[in-house]
Amino acid sequence: MNPETLRAVVDCLIPPDDFPGAYDAGVCDYLKRLFRTDLASRSGFFRAGIEGIEAEALARWDTAFAQLTPDQKISTLAAIETGDVKATWSISPSQFFEMLVNTTAEGFYSDPQQGGNRKAVSWVMTGFEDVSDS
Amino acid sequence: MNEYDAIVIGSGAAGGIVACVLAEAGKHVLLLERGPQLSFAEVGRDHLRNQRLAIYGHNAGPEPIGNPRVFVDPNGLSRIVKPYELDYHNNAACLGGGTRVYGAQAWRFHPDDFRMATKYGVPEGSSLADWPIPYETLDPFYERAEWEIGAAGDGNSIQHQIPRARNYPLPPVPPNPQTVALQNAARQLGWVTSPVPLLINTEPYQGRASCIGCKYCVGFACPTDAKSGSQNTVIPRALATGNCELKTSTIVESIETDGRGNVTGVSYLVASSGATRRETARARTIIVSAGAIESARLLLNSRSSFHPAGLGNEYDQVGRNLQGHLYPRAYGLASDKVFNGIGPGVTIATTQFNHDNPEIIGGGMLADDFIKPPIDFWYDSLPPDLPRWGIENKRFMRENYTRVMHVRGPVQDIPNPEGRVTVDENVRDRWGIPVARLSGTTHPATVAAAEFMRQRGEQWLRASGCEKVWSTQPGLILSGRQHQAGTCRMGSDPATSVTDKWGRIHGHDNLFVVDGSLHVTNGGFNPVLTIMALAFRSAEYIAHSVL
Repeated sequence: MNPETLRAVVDCLIPPDDFPGAYDAGVCDYLKRLFRTDLASRSGFFRAGIEGIEAEALARWDTAFAQLTPDQKISTLAAIETGDVKATWSISPSQFFEMLVNTTAEGFYSDPQQGGNRKAVSWVMTGFEDVSDS
Repeated sequence: MNEYDAIVIGSGAAGGIVACVLAEAGKHVLLLERGPQLSFAEVGRDHLRNQRLAIYGHNAGPEPIGNPRVFVDPNGLSRIVKPYELDYHNNAACLGGGTRVYGAQAWRFHPDDFRMATKYGVPEGSSLADWPIPYETLDPFYERAEWEIGAAGDGNSIQHQIPRARNYPLPPVPPNPQTVALQNAARQLGWVTSPVPLLINTEPYQGRASCIGCKYCVGFACPTDAKSGSQNTVIPRALATGNCELKTSTIVESIETDGRGNVTGVSYLVASSGATRRETARARTIIVSAGAIESARLLLNSRSSFHPAGLGNEYDQVGRNLQGHLYPRAYGLASDKVFNGIGPGVTIATTQFNHDNPEIIGGGMLADDFIKPPIDFWYDSLPPDLPRWGIENKRFMRENYTRVMHVRGPVQDIPNPEGRVTVDENVRDRWGIPVARLSGTTHPATVAAAEFMRQRGEQWLRASGCEKVWSTQPGLILSGRQHQAGTCRMGSDPATSVTDKWGRIHGHDNLFVVDGSLHVTNGGFNPVLTIMALAFRSAEYIAHSVL
């Protein structure tokens, strides 16, 4: 699994603005841990999905996903979300995408002990926790 | 072999009280709990593995491996489910049971909740019935639960609970900005509101500290032990008498009977250093308080030539009428921040719509909500028209987590005899005991009431000035979960009920069920205070008229 692809994908799902995006918040670390532990039985499925995203970028734009423009990335992911794919997928693109979106949000918004939400950035961002509170 | 006056199976809301009352009356009690005693640190603060949001596991049991159930969907397809899946209908498995991690709302049922069949008639396909006792019978035991477990609130403001002899021992939790907005809106709508009664120390009480307003209440354990459950109230009292022996991590396999079919004791399994040991204990009286699903399962698994279908199941009633609550949820976007970060978060309710609604059987209570951790909010509370990913989703979380108002509430379940617990001979737990098999749904009348309540929730939020309002409406599903009830209901006719009005199983002198299983109907309220009140009542009866 290409870490550059995963990094680019999670940063499309939760992009950086003046708060960190998913990658800087540690979501990839969360996902690595999750698919080694609780979702170990789904790690093959997940890897096939990330490879599917890469294949989809090549089929549509002849370019690696991480090198696409922001608009190209979003339109590629939106197509995968609805199952409107051009590449050949070994798994259900829309089922994979739902899992990807949910687990990315888990890594960003749950407790930092899980491996993501570094320095509780999302809790500060949402107001769940005061900066002085952590 | 050990001999006791009474064996109590389960240490939750009911079992802890039964053990306490019997032990304080001088009876020799064995209290058995399937789960371990869990410290605050052991329960922890995992946002993905707790009793409110359980995606990969639970923080208060049961263990994800070795404790399966079977769930049968409305199309008749069955599958094995793990404890953290919604269709498992889990309640916590640890000392204190669900009360270790509950939200602790302390509602009394409405007087009309005890006479549903008389008030509304019985809809086709439902087993709706009146309770064998009226509200007035339970009134003094409600008061006892409020004072001995420790309720905070303003009883004189709850319209259906007036008159009452005594108010709560503790003042209500303080209001927050959402409380004020909802209170003003209710006034404008002509609705009566009250603070939400909670079994939480808002001041030091019974030797324990007061609530510090942390953001982790429902689904978690309390850092100051201010939340009151069986594990920090009645169980310590029971143990202090010296008359109560407690065994945790002990699984009851079956209730034993003698050669004439009379109940004599229990057979249970104890895990010690990897090996499992089977032991038996005898008692004059057995009280099953394992929760509506596990109590039914134990009775159904306790078979003999005298009781081939399980104890108390001569008329195929054990496990039927499984109830919980459908929960319509409404959300509104307030113009200003309503979140102040002070828990528990639930502060204001209306019982305006629990009864006497047009075209509806029953109804329910509506209240604001406990503080939701952000990931719980992300899964549960976002508007349906918001993209699930991308900058717009992040911006909504950033700008509106503190501005979204929450209203939800339990809707009175109209019982369906086909919503039920049986046991599956082909699926065993790690101890080799046949597991609970859950099937059926609630009655369609419940869904109609939930839809009515969903609209009231939206109405309340619109009147609160929310610029955008959205909601979720449950469908025709099986309800149960942490509010599970109804599977061994009380009544006078053995053909349509499992126990008498004391919880004694028909046809037995010394076998009782005391927990939510007894509820003939489950009210439009969180049921725990009613479970506690019934436990005090049955335990007093057992202590003074049976033993």
